[in-house]
Amino acid sequence: MVDFVQALVDGAMLGATYSLLGLGFTLIFGVLRRLNLAFGPTILVGIYAGSATHLLWPGWFPAAAGATVGSALLAGTYVERCAFRVLARHPPVVAMISSFAVSMQLQELVALLAPSRTMAYPTPAWLSPIELGPILLRADGLLMWGGATLITALLFGVLYHTRLGRAIRAASDSAEAARLMGVDVAAAGVAAFLLASAVGGIAGVLIAASHQQVTPYFGLWATVKGLTAMLLGGAGSLLGAVAGGLVLGVVETQTLAYLGGQYRDLVAYALLLLAVALPPARPGGDL
Amino acid sequence: MGRISFGQQGFFVIGAYAAGMATALGGAPLAAGVLVGGLAAALAGAGFALVMGPRRGIAFAAGTLAFGELARVALLAFRFQVLVGADLVGPAGPDGFRGIRLLFTSGLPLGAYAVAIWVALAAIMAALTWLLRARPGEALVIVGQDEGLAAAAGIRVARVRVLALAAAGGLAGLGGGLLAHYATYVEPGHADVMLGVHSLAYGLIGGLGTPIGPALGVALDIGLLESFRVLRGYRMIIFGGLVVVFLAMRPRGLLDEATVHRLARRLRRRVA
Repeated sequence: MVDFVQALVDGAMLGATYSLLGLGFTLIFGVLRRLNLAFGPTILVGIYAGSATHLLWPGWFPAAAGATVGSALLAGTYVERCAFRVLARHPPVVAMISSFAVSMQLQELVALLAPSRTMAYPTPAWLSPIELGPILLRADGLLMWGGATLITALLFGVLYHTRLGRAIRAASDSAEAARLMGVDVAAAGVAAFLLASAVGGIAGVLIAASHQQVTPYFGLWATVKGLTAMLLGGAGSLLGAVAGGLVLGVVETQTLAYLGGQYRDLVAYALLLLAVALPPARPGGDL
Repeated sequence: MGRISFGQQGFFVIGAYAAGMATALGGAPLAAGVLVGGLAAALAGAGFALVMGPRRGIAFAAGTLAFGELARVALLAFRFQVLVGADLVGPAGPDGFRGIRLLFTSGLPLGAYAVAIWVALAAIMAALTWLLRARPGEALVIVGQDEGLAAAAGIRVARVRVLALAAAGGLAGLGGGLLAHYATYVEPGHADVMLGVHSLAYGLIGGLGTPIGPALGVALDIGLLESFRVLRGYRMIIFGGLVVVFLAMRPRGLLDEATVHRLARRLRRRVA
């Protein structure tokens, strides 16, 4: 029983970061109605920039975190211009393929510029684990959960209490109606993209800090996690992305605990396939 | 039929494993083994069509991505070893499937193997060209454009989807089986999503709608690979950039159906 609860707690903490990734995906999908497969690699650029910063100026966590988010924003801008703005009039699948092509570019860029494949990433030193009876809340888990909850709250604050947020939500709901109401839908799309890149960058900081290292596999991995989290909660729903991330985290951790590492990824991908295979909520809509 | 797939690598590797198992574990002759690989992959394609067939656009593409990765991860856990002679042969999880030696133990010269592959490729391309011009091809295109209209016109849409995906999977599986015997091994890493994306890019750059397009795409990529050896490290950046540019400027690729028809007509006029 204790194991189950422990895995549940670990899963919730892991799931919080998946929720962040899912939120990033949802922001872009909500307004642009397109999947950004370069999302993970965008964050990859960020975390490697953070690692490089740590290499040059060790001992100062905010520097690495800032470099991560900043680079993620830059990479996100590049992706948005190349794969989405240019292809705005094409069918959504085309942008998806293009984003994958751009992601290949970003992955190679990281491989070329990084001094070694796996690099160390700093962790804030002042974290310590908490024990609640028999349940251990690991320091890295607390970091992920605390950071993710904070950023999610901030994000919802921006989306529900600022004009920009209202524009983004309006454009997500119905681009045509928003346009008629005077919302600059294209600008809202760019803003959503940048917001998603920033959120992704912070998710990258949290994940990299909890793992204390960065690897090139992070790119596709983060994309798949974010995509699964978004789809599990119903594509385009922000709260759904949060819930989807948590569910994914819990399912993964429980699978890991009871079936072992081999089946963890299997179950995660099976979940993704299931999420896509189910008929869309809206008749005539597909994702 | 109007869908994009990121998952061809899944069928490729299923065919490779199945063909390897047929020859190395089952003792089948080379051609039969490769055909078994194609068949296994075709069945997987049909199965995929049953699950994901009605989906289109982004949902379908995401599903193929999931399928490709699912195949890779499933093969990482797949262990099936049988005593053949004195050795234990068979898929060994993350270590892959080694010892697929039939091509080399059968005494068939590699040159003959290569010729056989080219002949088979030419035959398949001819068959596809003929098929695409006839009724099946029309049905395929209509299903791709508007499934409601296709159904109203009496086309059995579900059947078209299953057959198309079975064919797509089967072709990839044949390729997988051929590679497995040439390389004498196959591993889960062969189901790399990059392979799937490249197969997609071949069509996108070379031309959609006819078998000639992807062939051109392959020629360009392999040609590019060789000529860009100088800029080795930037291959993905250039290739990725090419895909982006093509998608923006010429989404149907270089040799799309319209261009091919125009060229064919000009050729026929000159010959006639």
